[in-house]
Amino acid sequence: MSSSPLASAPEGRPGLPGAALGGLALAALLAVALPFFTTGYVVYIANLLLVFVVLCLGLHIVIGETGQFSMAHAAFYGIGIYASALANRAVDLPYPFAMLFGALVAGAVGLFIGALALRMRDIYLALATFAFGEAMQWVFANWDSVTNGPNGLRIAPARFGPLEILSDKQAYPFVLFFCLLAIGFTVVVSRSRLGRAFRAVRESEVAAMAMGIDVRRTRVIGFGLSAAVAGFAGGMFGLFQTFIHPDSLGFQTTILVLTMVVVGGLGSIWGAIGGAIVFGLISEVLRQAPQYQEIIYGAILMLFMMYAPHGLFAFVGERIREARHGR
Amino acid sequence: MAAEDMAAAAAPFLNVEGLTIRFGGLTAVGGLDMAVAKGSIHALIGPNGAGKSTTFNCISRFYTPSEGRITYDGRDITRLPAREMAGLGIARSFQNLELFAELTVFENVLIGAHVHAGRTWRDALSARPRGVVEEVEHLIERTGLTAYAQTKARNLDFGHQKMVEIARALAIRPKLLLLDEPAAGLRNREIAALDTLLCELRERDGLTILLVEHVMQLVMSISDRITVLSFGTKIAEGTAAEVRAHPAVIEAYLGREAAQEAAHG
Amino acid sequence: MDLQLALIFLQQGIASGLVSGSVYALLALAIVVIFKTSDVPNFAQGEVFMAAGYVALYLFVFQQMPIWVVLPATLVVAFLAMALFRRFVLDQVAKSAKDLVYLVIATLGLSYVLKGLVRRTGFGDTPRSFPALVPTDSIMIGQASVTLLDLAIFGTAVVVMAAFFWMFNYTKIGRAMRAVGMNPKAAQLVGVDLRRCHMLIWGLSGVISAIAALLISPKILMTADMGSIVMLAFAAAIVGGFSSLPGAVVGGFVIGIVENLVGLFISSRAIVLAPFLAILIVLVLRPQGLFGGKLTIKKV
Repeated sequence: MSSSPLASAPEGRPGLPGAALGGLALAALLAVALPFFTTGYVVYIANLLLVFVVLCLGLHIVIGETGQFSMAHAAFYGIGIYASALANRAVDLPYPFAMLFGALVAGAVGLFIGALALRMRDIYLALATFAFGEAMQWVFANWDSVTNGPNGLRIAPARFGPLEILSDKQAYPFVLFFCLLAIGFTVVVSRSRLGRAFRAVRESEVAAMAMGIDVRRTRVIGFGLSAAVAGFAGGMFGLFQTFIHPDSLGFQTTILVLTMVVVGGLGSIWGAIGGAIVFGLISEVLRQAPQYQEIIYGAILMLFMMYAPHGLFAFVGERIREARHGR
Repeated sequence: MAAEDMAAAAAPFLNVEGLTIRFGGLTAVGGLDMAVAKGSIHALIGPNGAGKSTTFNCISRFYTPSEGRITYDGRDITRLPAREMAGLGIARSFQNLELFAELTVFENVLIGAHVHAGRTWRDALSARPRGVVEEVEHLIERTGLTAYAQTKARNLDFGHQKMVEIARALAIRPKLLLLDEPAAGLRNREIAALDTLLCELRERDGLTILLVEHVMQLVMSISDRITVLSFGTKIAEGTAAEVRAHPAVIEAYLGREAAQEAAHG
Repeated sequence: MDLQLALIFLQQGIASGLVSGSVYALLALAIVVIFKTSDVPNFAQGEVFMAAGYVALYLFVFQQMPIWVVLPATLVVAFLAMALFRRFVLDQVAKSAKDLVYLVIATLGLSYVLKGLVRRTGFGDTPRSFPALVPTDSIMIGQASVTLLDLAIFGTAVVVMAAFFWMFNYTKIGRAMRAVGMNPKAAQLVGVDLRRCHMLIWGLSGVISAIAALLISPKILMTADMGSIVMLAFAAAIVGGFSSLPGAVVGGFVIGIVENLVGLFISSRAIVLAPFLAILIVLVLRPQGLFGGKLTIKKV
């Protein structure tokens, strides 16, 4: 398994070289300045990508950190969208409260499903969420009095006190801010005692138990957090979107997010973020060829699992290192 | 001698009474009594399949006994869940290594300190909780792993991996340390280091240690008391010298060797 | 609803439930036999079922092949596809990553590839039906109306399941499979070729799915999405405890009957929720399933 000659090298995070830092700074500047030099469409795509970054963070928590499987990410995203849109309409409070509400509802539903599914084997979570995703899509499409059913729901503009958000460009700074907030949150959780417990449970259930970690509770919390982050992404969606239709909350969306995380690299926050951006752009292109979408997504999932299980960036990095070492 | 025995009988730190474990119709351990004195190194030995590991897993609460009682520090732990052991100060290692393979040595040992790393919110959120980090670094140094602190556990050689298991168990700040074949697969030099470490833990840190072990060189050198199991029952108990001279022990081991010879011949 | 009608509904629900349940039972069996031996829930089982149906449709309707060629050819294709997936895809995945999650994702990938391929061929664009090989004349059993086709479906499924149980429990190859399920290392030590055994198991589970597809496709409209039926099979497997073969079969029939009763007594719209609710109820009331024993902890 560890026959690589690099295996014995220390694996601490190497300091970023100056060029990379400069590149990052440039990218950050570009990201902030984006609305000033591009069209509304580009900003719209950027907003969407940022939402997908947060969705990927959510899936990363459950797959990458706790090593379990959730197949209902789109459903929690949907719960977040509907819950925050309805809260926004019902109560005259600044929009972040609606977002928080969306995240809490999604998180609560996640905790409930997780607590039930994880009573037996951890793989039951995958199966229960598989069925839950389908059931939720049905609920979105049929609970007419709340979701307006198959006609879709109009989302009222988000308000921040006197400011009402009416365009993608206006929404962009907020979307960017909440995305950074979600990244910060995920990083803090991952580095915390809870995050270490997540990884302990992923690596060895019995050892985690011997260290005093409640394995089942840790798994349920991980899943609940992941659902809450997905719900938060739903709230972000409501910042710039005016309409939600149940069709866009099906298994297809779960697979899209999963593919992003897989492309970026399972187990790494930065992989999840990079995957969302890289594959988000690719999927935008793939939209032109819908008949190939399923085959391509499926093939990517299979091929990455076979040859690049740690994602595109790790794969490329390894190839470069190999080339440098003259092999 | 007599006074010591009485003190041990009066308040054994770990006491096992009538421990019986059945799997299906098979009795793996039948009516075992064993008392481990505070601050001692107590070894559990016996031929393969004698029920040592089963007993060990019962004490660390990974298996639940069919009958019997286990008390620790005056407390009945027979029915407590395994995850509560760490909080009570009982740490264990695993025979076949159960490391957090993809995590660094530092993280492995830090997770060992899980029950101590959440005293305050700030500590719980920190990647390097105060007080705990220093202790973790100290344990890594004490087990000779400083050079590998940032190496992933799966990339270490076997001897070092075993040491990570022990360092991680020590991070629990145990009063009772349960070691499942810590010397198995180690080289002589590594066994000597282990010998020194375990004695030091007993003398300097006042730890009570119960170990299951096949490596007689280690068992005979460090154990204050040895319990010998064969086919799920205790056949002998005493100091190294007593056990070595015990006819039932000789028979159990020689009988096994004779059986092996017969099988090969 | 008066009692008379309720009784008729009940009988009809059970009769129809046994028919659709036999398909869920077959698929659940295919899922559980893989899970028992590989620890992987195969999320592509539904799409294997769907694709096998389309292979048969293609050979029979588009290529006009005789049925005695179509049936074995479909089973062979299903066997090979699954065996090769196990051998070339999953073995490679297992080599590069040890976690279960990676294998599960690979099966999801297969499900999408199969779905996409069937859609690409164009057959999946319009819903079609496989011509029935058995007359669809109705007969009455008690107060329930069933067709001869229904009886043939049920009968064939029972025979297939019985044959599989016999193979699994009483033949040498079945013993090898069970040994792999209990302890792969020990099985290898006593001379079981793990790789071949896994290929065989995955292949057989493909064959069982293909049989399920051949049985049910005259009764339903085939689309590229018909693999979503697998949800009911997963529910059936969970009802049965997920690692018990008889449990999977009983679970299949239970789910089939419950689904039909829900459709008759409550609303056909609610059927979509049936698998999720079934899973939920089992997890609340009896998480180990009807046939599952207590889950023992991993040996340490």
